[in-house]
Amino acid sequence: MAPAQSGARARLMAAFGGSYLSSVLIGTVAVLLLLGVWEIALRFFEVPIWLAPKPSDFLARLYTDRALIAGHAFWTSLTIVEGFVLGVLVAIPLALAIVSVGALERGLYPVIVFLNIMPKTVIGPILIIWFGIGPLVAALIVFLMSFFPVLVDSMSGFRLVDRRLFYISRSMGASSWQTFWKVRLPAAMPHIFSGMKIGVVKAVEGVIIAEFIASNKGLGFMIVRASAFMDMTLMFSGLVAAAIVALIFNGAMSIIGQWLMPWSRH
Amino acid sequence: MTDTTMADMNSRIPSGLVDPVGEANATGASINAKGLTKVFGSGENAFHALGPIDLDIKPGEFVSIIGPSGCGKSTTMLLVTGLEPPSAGSVEIDGKPLTAPISEIGIVFQDHLLLDFRTAINNVMLQQEIRGLDRAKFRERADALFARLGLTGAENRYPWQLSGGMRQRVSIARALVHDPSMLLMDEPFGALDAITRTQIRHDLEMLWLETRKTVLFITHSIEEAVGLSDRVLVMSKSPGTIVEEIVIDLPRPRPAHLGEYPEFSKYAERIYRIFEKLGVYKF
Ligand SMILES: Nc1ncnc2c1ncn2[C@@H]1O[C@H](COP(=O)(O)OP(=O)(O)O)[C@@H](O)[C@H]1O
Ligand SMILES: [Mg+2]
Repeated sequence: MAPAQSGARARLMAAFGGSYLSSVLIGTVAVLLLLGVWEIALRFFEVPIWLAPKPSDFLARLYTDRALIAGHAFWTSLTIVEGFVLGVLVAIPLALAIVSVGALERGLYPVIVFLNIMPKTVIGPILIIWFGIGPLVAALIVFLMSFFPVLVDSMSGFRLVDRRLFYISRSMGASSWQTFWKVRLPAAMPHIFSGMKIGVVKAVEGVIIAEFIASNKGLGFMIVRASAFMDMTLMFSGLVAAAIVALIFNGAMSIIGQWLMPWSRH
Repeated sequence: MTDTTMADMNSRIPSGLVDPVGEANATGASINAKGLTKVFGSGENAFHALGPIDLDIKPGEFVSIIGPSGCGKSTTMLLVTGLEPPSAGSVEIDGKPLTAPISEIGIVFQDHLLLDFRTAINNVMLQQEIRGLDRAKFRERADALFARLGLTGAENRYPWQLSGGMRQRVSIARALVHDPSMLLMDEPFGALDAITRTQIRHDLEMLWLETRKTVLFITHSIEEAVGLSDRVLVMSKSPGTIVEEIVIDLPRPRPAHLGEYPEFSKYAERIYRIFEKLGVYKF
């Protein structure tokens, strides 16, 4: 009964609260434990820093080089947002078109499926020639990676809407525009959203690889450059920063989901 | 929350033939159909689903169509409202030929078909949003209907937080809130339990007595058809045609237990006999 009687505040509380909080707690404890064992082991065996840094090294580096790392993390985040938003903006209308027009389903969809089977990073070098090395190319690779899951789930979302709902909306005199915004899109939203969740995971995975090969900004680029300088500590700091970015994006998606779809059961 | 309590049953005793939602624009419309036929698909895949049937439904009349599953009842409803085009034949609403879907109607299906993402009241207010009508005034009408249907207090619940009977009441409110001239119901109580069904049947009858919308009520329940209708049209097996028309001459409001009327069993038996003759039943 909670979502009905409460406003946005309670929804947000629900998003953060309960099982989410406890799983965060358990996760944190596990990570701290791992870092502790790591630290002790490296100190005990006196492993040199250029071979494997201790948590105290790269966590300290995370702090001392925070401006540099935050700058790259910002670019990585921006690249994720750009690529992902572009993916969603293309995938949803395209899904609607494919579902609505039989010819597109038979003609275009197989082509998209084929393109999706191709490893996206292979397109990187081609994109570099077209657009030059930079965050744009990384964003395009992120777009290619996150686009497909959104497309597939949006298609099934649009398809699964009960056709009798369209009779009802037409009996209200709804235009096709109204039917889309007020009935079909929100009805398909749970499916679209689960596609978006997978899309974000792909984007967060893909962005670092994309930056390895095709960018001059972002955490991926920073790690590659640190590798060239044999700066092991910075590489590990970059890894931690990338993990934090991934966590933030996945968490944001859950919150957005519950905010967008307060009606859905949990 | 239960579907009904004694208290709200009493509050639902008719207050004369006054439209409970105010300013009735619409008493019922007449529905006339000639040679209505539906064939799905074409060529080898053509499937003759309905007809030809003729309908003559008077303004404010409560007419049921009863027939075996798959005989074309739902199709009839879609053709009569213009939601699907007929393959042959024509429909006139209030004497005007039907050429496009009309919006002076309310529809209720077997499954409530409420939108999961809207609260009960906002499902009803969708009518206002789409029709672009005055929100405050419409809300008043919606509230009146909610009160009338025993839904007060359920306004802000989502469909999944309501019982089956309440969901169906909300979809009845949605179908009536804009004061349509006809109400089309496709097995609206088919998914409800017997107790809820009897109550909601009575509530619908009361609402109809006050508003006198034209109702086309599709059912496969003999009890519902006889319990609610002025007239029952019996359809044959697929492709459905109307094989018999039975005028139900029983006083209103009709009781919960229709067995109180000896005539009820006669009407019911007549329909059984027709079904037997049509081979709907094989015993
Ligand atoms: N869109 C459609 N395409 C093809 N066949 C259909 C379609 N809609 C209904 N039918 C068929 O037409 C017949 C009548 O359907 P319907 O009107 O739903 O029957 P009823 O409501 O009496 O059970 C059924 O055999 C059904 O399978
Ligand atoms: Mg049917």
